[in-house]
Order: sequence, then structure tokens, then C-alpha cells
Amino acid sequence: MIELQTSRLTLRLPMLADWPAYRDFYASDAAKHIGGPLPAVRSWYYFAGDRGHWDLHGFGWFTLDDGRGAVGTCGLHIPPHHADVEIGWNVYGAGQGKGYATEAARAVLDWAPSVTDAQRIVSYIDRGNTASKRVAEKLGADFTGEMAAHDPDCEVWLHQRRAA
Amino acid sequence: MYGATGVQNELLAHPAATHRVMHRFRGLRFHKPNFVAGTPMTPRLVDIPVLETERLTLRAPQPSDFEVLAPFVMSDRATFIGGGPEKDVGHAWRILSVLCGHWHLRGFGVFVAVPKGTDRPIGSMGPWYPEPWPEKELSWTIWDETAEGKGYATEAMIEIRRHAYAALGWTGAVSYIDANNTRSVALALRLGCTIDPEANGPHPEDVVYRHPSPSEVLA
Repeated sequence: MIELQTSRLTLRLPMLADWPAYRDFYASDAAKHIGGPLPAVRSWYYFAGDRGHWDLHGFGWFTLDDGRGAVGTCGLHIPPHHADVEIGWNVYGAGQGKGYATEAARAVLDWAPSVTDAQRIVSYIDRGNTASKRVAEKLGADFTGEMAAHDPDCEVWLHQRRAA
Repeated sequence: MYGATGVQNELLAHPAATHRVMHRFRGLRFHKPNFVAGTPMTPRLVDIPVLETERLTLRAPQPSDFEVLAPFVMSDRATFIGGGPEKDVGHAWRILSVLCGHWHLRGFGVFVAVPKGTDRPIGSMGPWYPEPWPEKELSWTIWDETAEGKGYATEAMIEIRRHAYAALGWTGAVSYIDANNTRSVALALRLGCTIDPEANGPHPEDVVYRHPSPSEVLA
């Protein structure tokens, strides 16, 4: 079982108990930069797809658990129409402002070389998503000056390489 | 076009990673799934039952199924199940991810049907219960148009319904079908389903077909 531990969070595989928090986040305006707001019948497909990504690539999205339940997600994914492996993060309303995204993403970036031989790990960040850009800066990523080929509204941020 | 930056120079210094190699099939470009089978840490679909019918093996979804699933999802044959010509390869990929993820979240899920003696998937069929669904569903989709009209879905669904009732302990099942999906309506009727006018589906256009009960099916 894959599990990563940070000082405040456990990063574990998504499970059914995480669904209500995931659903509520995607139904809110907070999801506007990542395709939301979405009704539950559609966000379920994101939720189940996050879990299924592990089967297809051997890596995927973690649930961030603060000991009381799901407070967000963070992980690696590469849908076939994306140019690079992406690290993404979402922190739900109550957990925001605590540095959880940065803390979780550092752990995922450190873990990444053990599960993928990708030479580049990027984050595709909506040009208006200033909160996520701040996280990317704290992680040491740089805006490449390019927009994503699959989404002209998303900036490509490149993360620093970690040793395998 | 944005000028040389340190970042871009670093990019140029690295050859393309293996996962960035693009593959082509049927005019689609996609990354070949980097399937790292055998890695002990990876949480893959294991211990999934394999069902057998006279002509079919019903097994867990796997990455290679994408080659048949993707063209189907992006065709007009998929409009009743959320696909269509306007959908992209990312949408098709998400559907395969969902088929896998459902197994982990629910402990059951849809099987991929493969004619015995081949490894070419013809469709997905099985127990389906996303959280927003009012009731547990038995679903079927034929991906490969050339596999239609041979009774494969009927054959698979009879065994899958028996499995849902006998092995999973379901006390009933429905199938949610768009009224214009005449092929699926015909299959539901062959399976002995009747329209339940009182029940609602997850989508407003759904007609709810209720399956015969376990006592009728397992008798």
C-alpha cells in the first residue's frame, strides 16, 4: 500500500469515504480553475478516475488526510493528451491557508522519481489561479513562458528535477 | 517565441522521456500507457474475479483496452453513454480510469468482455454503482461495432446478473437507458426487464428498467 507521510498529513489512496468532501469541493466556486463547479454526477467521474489512474500508470492522486479525514488531493497524472507528467494539488475550503498544498506537493515531488522516469514534471495552472501559482513558486517551480498545448488558458510551470 | 530562458535551456538539455513518445492508431495521438506491471508498490486491480460464458471471458479492465475503447468513446455510437465525436482522447482516458477506479472504491465493477481465444476487448459490462446513482445498476456497452448483433451482450449480462445476485448479494438491479437507445432497450427486454415508471435515474433522460429479482433469476 502506498502511503506518504508529512509532518501534518498522510497521503493515501482515495477511498469511498473521501467522496463527500471531494463532491462538495467540485460543486463549489473554489473548483472554477479546474473545470468546476460540477454536479455530483460529473465530479464522481473525476473522483473514480483519480483512483483508477493508479491502475493505468502505477502512480496517481493521493487523498490528503489530516487525521480527521480528507482535506484535499495531490498527485501525479498524465492523461494521454498532456505533454508531460503533471503534479497537481487541491485543498478544500477548511484546510486552505495552512500550507497543506506545499507540504503535500514536496512529498510527492520527492517520491516521483521512484515511480516515473519522466524527465520533466510540470504543473498546468490556470492563468487566473493565483493561489496555485504561489504554491508552485514556493515549490521552486518556474513559469516556462509557455501555455499548455491541451489548454491555452493554462500556464506551464516546470519543477526542479529530483535525483532518482 | 518567448525568448531563451534558463528553464527552456534546461529543457533542451534533456532528451524526450519514454512516456513522451507519441503513438498513433486510427488517427489518434496518445501516450502509450507506461504500465509498470510487477512493481510491488503499485496498487493495481488484483483479485478480480474472471467470469466465463460460452463464448466470452469477462476480466478486469487493463491499459491496453484503451486502443479499442478510445475510438468508441469518440464516435457517434457513444452518444448515449456520455461520449461522442466532440469528445477528446482525454475524455476517453478518463472513462477507462473510472472503470478501474470504481472497482477499488466499491469492491466491484464492470468487466471487459473478450471473445475466448483472443485478447481483443469488445465492450464493458457489469455492476455499476457511482455514488450519485439512486440504485445499483447492471450496465453494458459494446465498444466494437463488429461485435454487435451476435448476442454477446445478452450472454454476458445473464452471467453478470447471476454474479451480482449470487456472489455480490444484490437484492435487485436496474438499468438506466436513454429511451432513444433502441439496441439497449431491446436487450433490457430480452433480459426480462420492465420499465419502472416510479423510479428515477441519475439523469433526467434515463428510463429505469428493473431486472427480475434474485429469486426469479437464481431459481
